[in-house]
Amino acid sequence: MVSSGQPAAPSFAAWAGSVAELCDAVDRLTPVAAALGVADGSTAAWHGALYGKLRPQVSREPLLVAAVCGGTNTGKSLITNSLVGSGISRSTPEAARTLHPVASLARGVAARTDLAALFPGFRPVAWRGEADAVDAAAADVLVWREDPGGAQPEKLVVLDTPDIDGTLRENWHRAELVRNAADVIVAVLTQQKYNDAAVRDFFAAAAAAGKTVIVVFNMVDWPRQRERIAGWLATFATETGVAAAAVYAGPHDFDAAEAGRIALIPLPELTPGGAEVSLAERLATCDFDRIKRQAMAGAMRVVADPTQGLAAWLDAIDRSAAGWRDAQRLLEREGRVQVELPAPPREIVWDEVWTWLEPRRSAIDLVVSGGYRTVGQGMSWAARRLGIGRTAAERKEDFAATELEALKRALADFIDRLDDACRRDERLGRLLGPRLATADRQAWYADLERRHEALPLVSDDYRTFVRTELDRFAAANPGMVKAVLTGLTVGSVVRPVMTLALFSAGAAAVPAAAGVLHHVLDFGVTVAAPLAGEGAVAAASQGIRPLIERLFAGWSAERGRILAETLHDVVLGDGVEEIGRLAASGSRPELVRARQLLVECSRECG
Amino acid sequence: MEPTTGSPPPTPAPEPDFAAFDLLIDALGRWAPAGPAWPPARRVKSEWEGVAPRLDKARLELSRVLVVGVVGGTGTGKSTLVNALAGSEVTTAGDVARPTTINPVVVAARDVDVSWLPLDAMQARLVRSDSPAVANIVLVDCPDPDTQAVVETPPAAASKPSATNRNRDLLEAVLPACDVLLLVSTAQKYRSWIVAREVAAFAPGRPLLFVQTHASRDPDIRGDWRMELESQGFDVPRIFRIDGVEAAARAAAGLEPEAGFRELVAAIDGELAGRAARRVRRTGALDLAAWFTRQARGDLAASGEPVAALAAGVETERGRLEAILARSIGETLRANRSAWQRLIADDVVARWQGGPFASFLHVIAALGSFWNRVRPGTGVVGRLLAGQSVSGAGAARDGGWKAVEELGLPAGEVEQSRSVLAGLAARAGIQEPLVGRARLDDAAAATATAALVDRAGAWLSAGIDRLVVERRGRVGRPAIHWLFEGLFSALLVTVLVRAGWNFFHGNLWEGRPVSGIGFLEEAIVWVILWGLLLRWLVFALVRLGLDRDIQGLVGSVASSRLVDPLLADFSSAASAVSTWIDEGTRLGAEGDRLAAACGETPGLGRLRRPAT
Repeated sequence: MVSSGQPAAPSFAAWAGSVAELCDAVDRLTPVAAALGVADGSTAAWHGALYGKLRPQVSREPLLVAAVCGGTNTGKSLITNSLVGSGISRSTPEAARTLHPVASLARGVAARTDLAALFPGFRPVAWRGEADAVDAAAADVLVWREDPGGAQPEKLVVLDTPDIDGTLRENWHRAELVRNAADVIVAVLTQQKYNDAAVRDFFAAAAAAGKTVIVVFNMVDWPRQRERIAGWLATFATETGVAAAAVYAGPHDFDAAEAGRIALIPLPELTPGGAEVSLAERLATCDFDRIKRQAMAGAMRVVADPTQGLAAWLDAIDRSAAGWRDAQRLLEREGRVQVELPAPPREIVWDEVWTWLEPRRSAIDLVVSGGYRTVGQGMSWAARRLGIGRTAAERKEDFAATELEALKRALADFIDRLDDACRRDERLGRLLGPRLATADRQAWYADLERRHEALPLVSDDYRTFVRTELDRFAAANPGMVKAVLTGLTVGSVVRPVMTLALFSAGAAAVPAAAGVLHHVLDFGVTVAAPLAGEGAVAAASQGIRPLIERLFAGWSAERGRILAETLHDVVLGDGVEEIGRLAASGSRPELVRARQLLVECSRECG
Repeated sequence: MEPTTGSPPPTPAPEPDFAAFDLLIDALGRWAPAGPAWPPARRVKSEWEGVAPRLDKARLELSRVLVVGVVGGTGTGKSTLVNALAGSEVTTAGDVARPTTINPVVVAARDVDVSWLPLDAMQARLVRSDSPAVANIVLVDCPDPDTQAVVETPPAAASKPSATNRNRDLLEAVLPACDVLLLVSTAQKYRSWIVAREVAAFAPGRPLLFVQTHASRDPDIRGDWRMELESQGFDVPRIFRIDGVEAAARAAAGLEPEAGFRELVAAIDGELAGRAARRVRRTGALDLAAWFTRQARGDLAASGEPVAALAAGVETERGRLEAILARSIGETLRANRSAWQRLIADDVVARWQGGPFASFLHVIAALGSFWNRVRPGTGVVGRLLAGQSVSGAGAARDGGWKAVEELGLPAGEVEQSRSVLAGLAARAGIQEPLVGRARLDDAAAATATAALVDRAGAWLSAGIDRLVVERRGRVGRPAIHWLFEGLFSALLVTVLVRAGWNFFHGNLWEGRPVSGIGFLEEAIVWVILWGLLLRWLVFALVRLGLDRDIQGLVGSVASSRLVDPLLADFSSAASAVSTWIDEGTRLGAEGDRLAAACGETPGLGRLRRPAT
């Protein structure tokens, strides 16, 4: 499957396609997962196997990647140099000096291979000198050199890597990226480090991903410690699951190391098959296709692992989305305030009704009601003179002030409730908490004041709404116009109670007021407008009551809308839509598709 | 202070100011646990709980021998070095298996009492040694930090031998007992991340000795190690380089130790034994205290700005509410013109006794009092102007807000302010129970509004009284009284003179007929009209400049702290937190000063800064 000359795996093309599609699905899910607060997948083993191994290598010219890995100052660079036959990576007495991986390629490979795609996470740069590997100014580069001697096998890539246990954590990360891409790992161990936790973890991951591991015990006090090596290797194998393909010993020789020389002695007694071949020769002559297949299958195993693999990440997305659905329900329950608006000046509604009625009334009606009007005006003039009455303008001013205050109280209540919800649900706390804590709340109230100021007591929208309602009423109840007149003289007033709620757009209770009520996205405004002075109206007519209630409700809903707008536009911003999106993200098609592809890929891989 | 008798110490350095140090520790001990119920304060408190016992111990155990923990990665030769120092094989060293040392080994001279060492908790084994190198110290061969898995082993891998490796946990149980750390490393391990992490966690307040081992095999990496240690925040006066295997062999053979090992032993003797131990302990404690204050300040640094913003926000909101209140009270005061008139003029009239004008006014006032009964004052201000008293307790019975809203401060505005402040408090991490919510609960609302109404009542009635007294004094002066009496009497006299002239001159002298009482009836009307005009003038005098005076009165609303009770939780939280932070900053500066003034321990390393 990796060699073009070996059509052993008929489903290979399909597999490559599935892997690519799987990667696409994961790419699309990655921002979703990040928004959901799911742990970053890019540090997980499955991610390394999928993006570092499978995707770059499944459809490319098969190269066998052999990487020399180990702890600080264990002689990796020295061993690499000896493998490639000349100084490619500087070897120093100081620890953790190799900062960048250095790759030795066969001639012509660089020209026909996209090295950046083969080693994701690195920017390939051509080798200039030994010092490239220790250049502290460069970042995330992979230095490559084509073998000047021409002895390197065509398909072999040999890499020196940074350390895996030093104080520079970037080095670990770079070594992990190289390890993910590798097929063969030359594990450089020493008696000080073979059982260090950091070393164990690194090579255990390599073993789990099906890499072929060759063990080099370096800096051995030779031959005194020769007998010890079997014990060390056994511990290492038990701890990491590594079944060493071959074992070598590098005797401690300070002077030789200073001179850039190292001798690696094969240990046939610890090597399966017992062959006594040099490390360089072993790398050159190994069964490339088998090792490559094994590494690809191993990578697929890591991706498909039910508890640690991609499936676990997908499960975490599901779980987190479910958590967000709970959070949304909490907001639905708690994000609900009741606004007790003051009783509106009754002429606000009645004047509109009056205007509508004017052309429809008989002369007698006009005289009678005109008389009422005159008397009423006279009485209110007298009351004002005595200091106990208010002018219409003053009443409107009083109403506006009281109404604004009611809206402010509702806003304060709503913010309190949001604060509470954020404390009770840490997801909401993460999403809305910073906004609630750092925003300039004075600006929220200023925004509400501005909107309130800008809203006329009776808007054109509302006038249209009243006319439409009355036209409809008149059409349905031809005889009732008179009753409306009675209602007018009785002058009933409602005291509306409005409920403003998050996520309940579907439950608005003023369907007739649809012309007035623009739902502000996720807010629903519900108005109950019980009629005061009910007895009188009831006496006049039962049929008129719902109409009057609706007229007042429509008016109140329009008032309440400004609060909804403030809440939406300045307090919550897009936070509410975000919560809705997150709660819905559990049902995204990519999730289902990713699971299908995962199953397909593992099946095709066998 | 140590007495200055006998020979001077070999390394003369200024003695730490121990008295000031003790004061600092006491002050820290009062400050750290006394923080407000605020997350950063809780963090500081819990950090202090970790540090305090060590500081106490350092003060109580001044004269005990120092416990030197030998720490470093596995395979670096800790046990070999301990054996070399102890002069015999007291702990297993070797290359057979990693890790070699699992249970710590405590090495002490025969005459040293170590009953105070928690050997059981350390799971340690005690070995006695006669070696001069350990005569005046207690040496601990510690487990390594680098063979235990960093993340908890997954259950699937629990069968591995390393799953039971608890060396780092054991190390973390041993290190608290150590006063000094002897950090051992090799060319392979001096840049180990996990060792650096563990040492950094225990280095504050613990002086260090640095030793490179495997000298006969490895290159000299001391220059590079020094750079690495300095980047981790350590002061590194010197690094010893030894070969433990060789030193142990020489010690066993009774040979003179080689130079590097000799220097190390000499340093232990000079820097850690005898009187030096006292200094090391004090310096360590001082470092620890300075470290703690530095950590605490770092923790609190980010909070300073939000807390200040909260305090500023309290001022802004207070100003806003006061402006609303002042505007509304001013309007009400101005609108109650007739009430002012009554309040001032009635008293003036009552004091003007004698004279026809006064009598005239009394008659009018008596008639007017009927009207007052018909319209008593309404609202808090109205009641005050009507001479009634206002009490918060009375207001609280109505649920609190009614009286406040009568004063002209709507609950919505208060809730807006509290909501804004709740946001600022949240940014500073200040939450319940330190501050309440935007909407005060019933009990809090009742208390706060009652307090507000009390304050407003006291402030307003005092202000009104002042204003009234001042005006009464001005209008009620006898000169004014007699001026008006004169003006009023002038018409009366004119009428009488005219009547007398008509009678005596017209009737008796010129013989014109008597005109009857028609003239007097007419005259009475004129007198009454004249009296009313004068009364209006008196009232005009009363009103003159009243608006300006009312403006002055409501202008003093800020100094009366009327709205404080409504925002009290926020203002007291802000001031409590900032006072506490300020005290911490002061103690931190004091700690830094003492640490800077305190002498160096020339041969020992110290962790002075966080890693760069």
